[in-house]
Amino acid sequence: MDSRNFTYMFYGFAAAWAVLVIYVITLVSREKKIHQEMDRLKKLIEEGSRK
Amino acid sequence: MVIAGKDLRAELRGKETINASLSFSLVILLLFSFAFDPTAEETRAICGGLLWLVFAFAGALVLNRSFARELPNDCLDALIASPLPPSALFMGKVMANMLILMTVEIICLPIFGLFYNVNWTQQFGMLFLVLVLTTWGLTVVGTMFSALTVNMRLRELMLPTLVYPIMIPGLLAAIQLTTLLAVGEPLTPDYYPWLKLLAGFDLIYTLLGLALVDTVLVG
Amino acid sequence: MREKITYVLAAIVGALLVSNLYTILLGLPDEANQGAIYRIFFFHFPSAITSGLCAFLSLVGSLMYLYRRNLWWDAFAVSATELTLTFGAIVLMTGMIWARIIWGIWWAWDARLTSTLVSWLAYASYLIFRRAIEEPTARARFSAVISIFTFPGVIISWKSIEWWRTQHPGPVISIRGGGGMAPGMEAAAYWNLLPLAVLALILISIRLRQENAQRLLDGFRRQAHEI
Repeated sequence: MDSRNFTYMFYGFAAAWAVLVIYVITLVSREKKIHQEMDRLKKLIEEGSRK
Repeated sequence: MVIAGKDLRAELRGKETINASLSFSLVILLLFSFAFDPTAEETRAICGGLLWLVFAFAGALVLNRSFARELPNDCLDALIASPLPPSALFMGKVMANMLILMTVEIICLPIFGLFYNVNWTQQFGMLFLVLVLTTWGLTVVGTMFSALTVNMRLRELMLPTLVYPIMIPGLLAAIQLTTLLAVGEPLTPDYYPWLKLLAGFDLIYTLLGLALVDTVLVG
Repeated sequence: MREKITYVLAAIVGALLVSNLYTILLGLPDEANQGAIYRIFFFHFPSAITSGLCAFLSLVGSLMYLYRRNLWWDAFAVSATELTLTFGAIVLMTGMIWARIIWGIWWAWDARLTSTLVSWLAYASYLIFRRAIEEPTARARFSAVISIFTFPGVIISWKSIEWWRTQHPGPVISIRGGGGMAPGMEAAAYWNLLPLAVLALILISIRLRQENAQRLLDGFRRQAHEI
């Protein structure tokens, strides 16, 4: 393979993958937040209806 | 039409929007003269950009007021509840805003020519056409977003943020054409795509505005 | 069931991406003038198409919301818009890195680059706008209108290389009358488009489920407050 400009090509590929990975990480963290919130509210509702 | 008349009459009585945006434009024109050497030849090459930046800023002021002025006394709800169709209300507002903004532009243009030593009268016919087309496009998009943001807390901030990116194709075409026309050169076939873009921009957003104004105002 | 399909699809996408990476890096012949940097094209072009596709889906979601008045379509439009921005970011970044080598500058203000950046910013302000409105139906209605207003910019960006003389290369894909590429290379570009587009769809579906869960959650919260 022609190795001219190889570093910049690598930067380009890394950038593309990094953007995707960052997006997936935000997705996962949002998923976690939703689950936590869901559990918290479920508890609240249960406690409230028991009273 | 009724709406346009009403808005213009209110404007003539108070003159607050016109005065504010006019003095604002003049201040910006003055500020630009510090950023560039106003009489240098190079300034001619960017005069279209200067003019349209000023007009776009002034336009945001006018458009912010357009629907916000109906908020006190619940005038907006009354207008929506009136038998007038929303599209008529929208077109009325567009026309009123257009006339106000055109007035500001027509007053600014000679002052600009004077201060920046630009001979803008030679191609005035075409220049006027570009002014009308662009101002129409800007006010159609702007009035729509003025209606969208009227009930928001951050109205004054939200309107420019939303409106400028969408206006850019139209503004860009206007800047290219104005730079050429303002220094008195005739249009060459090179510039026809810009003119077409401007006309297409107006057409598409006028149609979109008319089609969507019901959902924005009524729901 | 749905989760299983998602996992299987994601696995296929992953495998395809890895095998494509091998083709792109080692399988394809060298390009005469550009050196290794031309291989960025095989990410740049598929991401651009995917981003445009997501923008189109966002338009569809917005139109369908206004037509059906079902918040599901609003959630769909948001999800598609987020993926438009993600893939748009990839397009802009890979393009800039390519330009740094080939043109010697990171950014040239030609019609293609400018219009793409403008559309990207417009979709970003769409997401900012959504945060400023609390009431779900008003938010859905208004943002649908904004999305529809933003879409013409995408078309301008797509067509700009034909309408103006740009520094950006003209059409190189043969279905748009380009034909500036060897057949094997063009096939490789399409082969990378497939997994990226499917990946976008997968991510949209995940994001969509989250958005709907969030709506449910807001309902619960109201219920909890009442108690």
